[in-house]
Amino acid sequence: MNAIKSYGNIITKNLSDSKKALAYLKLGLNIAGVYLSLFPDRKVPASLQFLQKICVNSIKDYFNHPDNSMWVNIFSPTEILHAMGVNPLFIEAYSGFLAGISIEGQLIDAAEAAGISNSLCSFHKVFLGSGELNLLKKCKMSITTSMICDGNIGTFRYLSEKYQTPLYILDIPYEYNKENVNYVKNQLQEMIRNIEEIFGRKLDMDRLKEVIARENQSKELLKKYLENLALKNLSTSMTYELYMLFASHVFLGREETLSFYRMLLEDIQRAPDRRGKGIFFIHVPPLFEKNFIKYFNFSPEFSILGFDLNYDFLDEIELRDPLEGIARKLLLNSYNGSFDRKIALIDMLMEKTRPDGVIHFCHFGCKQALGGIYLLQRYFREKNIPFLTLDGDVIDKKNNQEGQTKTRLEAFLEIIRNR
Amino acid sequence: MIGYVCKYTPVELLEAFGEETVKIEPQVKPHESAHDFTHVNMCSYMKGALEQILEQNLKEIVLVNCCDSIRRLNDILKNKVDFLHIIDLPRKINNETDRLFYRQIELFAKAYGEYKGTRLKTGRLKEIIQSRRKEQIPVEKSLVIMGARFEKNIIKRLEETYGIKTINLTCSGNNRLSDTITENNVLFSYAVALLRSFPCMRMVSDRRAFLQSLPVKGIIYNTIKFCDFYSFEYANLKKTVNTPILKVETDYTDSESGQLMNRIDAFMEMLETKSVSRKTRGKRFFAGIDSGSTSTNAVIIDAEGQIMGYSNVPTGAKAHDSAQKAYNLALKNAGLTKEDISFTVATGYGRISLPFANKITTEISCHGKGAYFLDRKVRTIIDIGGQDSKVIRLDEKGNVLDFAMNDKCSAGTGRFLDFMAKAMEISLEEMSQVILNYHKDIVITSMCTVFAESEVISLIAHNTEVKDIIRGLNRSVATRAVSLLNRIKHTEKYMMTGGVAKNKGVVYEIEQKIGAKLLIPSDPQITGALGAAIFAMESSD
Repeated sequence: MNAIKSYGNIITKNLSDSKKALAYLKLGLNIAGVYLSLFPDRKVPASLQFLQKICVNSIKDYFNHPDNSMWVNIFSPTEILHAMGVNPLFIEAYSGFLAGISIEGQLIDAAEAAGISNSLCSFHKVFLGSGELNLLKKCKMSITTSMICDGNIGTFRYLSEKYQTPLYILDIPYEYNKENVNYVKNQLQEMIRNIEEIFGRKLDMDRLKEVIARENQSKELLKKYLENLALKNLSTSMTYELYMLFASHVFLGREETLSFYRMLLEDIQRAPDRRGKGIFFIHVPPLFEKNFIKYFNFSPEFSILGFDLNYDFLDEIELRDPLEGIARKLLLNSYNGSFDRKIALIDMLMEKTRPDGVIHFCHFGCKQALGGIYLLQRYFREKNIPFLTLDGDVIDKKNNQEGQTKTRLEAFLEIIRNR
Repeated sequence: MIGYVCKYTPVELLEAFGEETVKIEPQVKPHESAHDFTHVNMCSYMKGALEQILEQNLKEIVLVNCCDSIRRLNDILKNKVDFLHIIDLPRKINNETDRLFYRQIELFAKAYGEYKGTRLKTGRLKEIIQSRRKEQIPVEKSLVIMGARFEKNIIKRLEETYGIKTINLTCSGNNRLSDTITENNVLFSYAVALLRSFPCMRMVSDRRAFLQSLPVKGIIYNTIKFCDFYSFEYANLKKTVNTPILKVETDYTDSESGQLMNRIDAFMEMLETKSVSRKTRGKRFFAGIDSGSTSTNAVIIDAEGQIMGYSNVPTGAKAHDSAQKAYNLALKNAGLTKEDISFTVATGYGRISLPFANKITTEISCHGKGAYFLDRKVRTIIDIGGQDSKVIRLDEKGNVLDFAMNDKCSAGTGRFLDFMAKAMEISLEEMSQVILNYHKDIVITSMCTVFAESEVISLIAHNTEVKDIIRGLNRSVATRAVSLLNRIKHTEKYMMTGGVAKNKGVVYEIEQKIGAKLLIPSDPQITGALGAAIFAMESSD
């Protein structure tokens, strides 16, 4: 922990000299890559150790080969990039990484000083701030989607302009219907033409089909993993649950992601039965919040059962027409369109995981999630499942009130213990 | 009656149904009922709209898939109104989206017709569209209002006070389509015209090209708390456009508040669009009164700009009484009577309520004036008063080039430090130390005064040294001031004014952060009043 803190301090001290700060970032990532191979985190099973390596390597690859990388957001159709051998830098995760070394404060200040709203989601503000302080390596191109989160288009547009990189925005409509599938498919085709031109290589449809076949296999394994969560107890932490977003989104369809899901299923099947209470998280678990760390990380008393974002699309993608399949996947995402879809997803997850309590950490600035809080409260009342909402910020530590969170969280856990 | 929120709503189509439409523009009020159905940290427009729909019992609502907040508004309103429809608006504009949007408009017309038990009369729609006249763009230099919807009343007041034309490019702008029906299919050409109107920030298009074609004197850019679209364009415009630009942030609950008007007035002064003033001539002394939130200051100068006398009294509940008191005291100190004063300028929050002032000017211009008068080399001013902190940039003639002010809350202001001193049971003098030999590098993380107070109390409970806490608090105020500074292009020399300039600890921490010395006037609190007095002298010439 202290090594990470001092590492963060070194970077903070060099923020005014972006070349130096970047060099330290790159060095740190390369060291972390080696370190994790030699000394994996023994608190977690092999699958999660492997996952951590995938995540660190992805950011490392971006630093080492920015000209073969693209900035993407979590919902971008990266299957196409994998088929073309392009490395995606998942910007929300990059912000999480920078917050992990505790330099988010300076980056957020830099974004706000440039005129960016202080009520914007901090995942975006940190990325914007690292752009303002030239802590990013220029990519060849970036892609984003309009779906689910308003902050994306603005963030990508702003940074693409600053770094003079081409940007492709996929406009994903609200409703699922045939015309909209075609609209998205046409955009995917246009996007592919742009990527082909910029990277000077062709997309091989057969390779894309292979990627999608692996994605479908991964989903099958994920669903089997889900079937085990109600009874088994996997030793994990909020950080690893967030690492899973790499597997369930941006890195889905890659060979190592499929291996990860195979290992994950084996690990949970071998795991001991759950003795303590199970907590399911909605939205994003606050991985840096001290009270949450104390009560949930590697805890046998309150097991983390997962969080909904890792399950936002579980259907199979048709191999017949991969682009149409991807278009459907984007349109049918549980968070696109009406909130009923999200409630249907949560209902399914409640049935599978059977938690003793559910916590919704209301991440500051996320309107799509916070706006539906009343509908979720109603749902959980009807289902008679204890439900706690807490306000705070996953990334920006100064937006959290530790004392307030402590009282509320402990009271909630007392309720669950006594049920 | 059907309520709507967005300019892409087919209002003419609803009129063709013979239906009265009402644009939902929430007025000043707390969002009591809205908070029962959604989270407090939602965009205040969405909460205000929800409040209004519930309060006025609007039964028919048409929304557009504008943003995360409006999508959730649609989810919340289900089963609360009789007719609810959301139109899916594409973000791109091309032939394909023309057809998609047309299909959306057609679906809406069908749904509304079924609800009403009637059908759309396209002939009527055509007539209505043709009767619309396109808004004329003014030829003279105008004030452009951009960003989020802006209160009509403020725009009206601006036009009247400053005699300037405005061009409203916000999404509540009036620019509707007119002679757009070119094809046989009325509904199709209507949908296309609607989609292709001046794009709002949500659309995937660059709006700067359009801006270049307009006669712009200045831009007021409005952003809303918890709205993701606008600040990006503001940040970009600030970097790339040479026109003076003012960012204001509103939240629909206090749109006419002093703070907002203050910023706008200062901006208009910067654009040299002076309001009309009453003039008196003959005598040789001039007064400036700064009616601030915590203290009221008065300064009397002679025709050479020599300070004859000044005063400093705490502002009580009635700004007017305190101002009178400060004025009388300054006169007494100068050995003058009010008959000797030929012109008086008032500034500060209470400036509007001072009847004996000949003219009012914002404290931004006054601080600029006063600081420049004290030292002509000053280019950047940091003023931290009781409830406001601001930074001002001057040109070599002392004119205000740019400024930035803190947002609503008192974090980083004098009052913040007052509260903390009280919480720690120490005096303001003790609070004002420069602490070099500290034990622990305390960082006060809370942005809010109330929470910071509990943070401080828990630090005391953990036996943290008072000295370390004082340093942490002074540093947190300094950090806020520097982040404000970073919003303008700041250069030497720096002057710090306002009550907090007396706090040596804060001054030291700011100097450390910016790597430059701050000039501190002998009585930093009277700089605003001094500037006002100089304005009085100039106005009287």
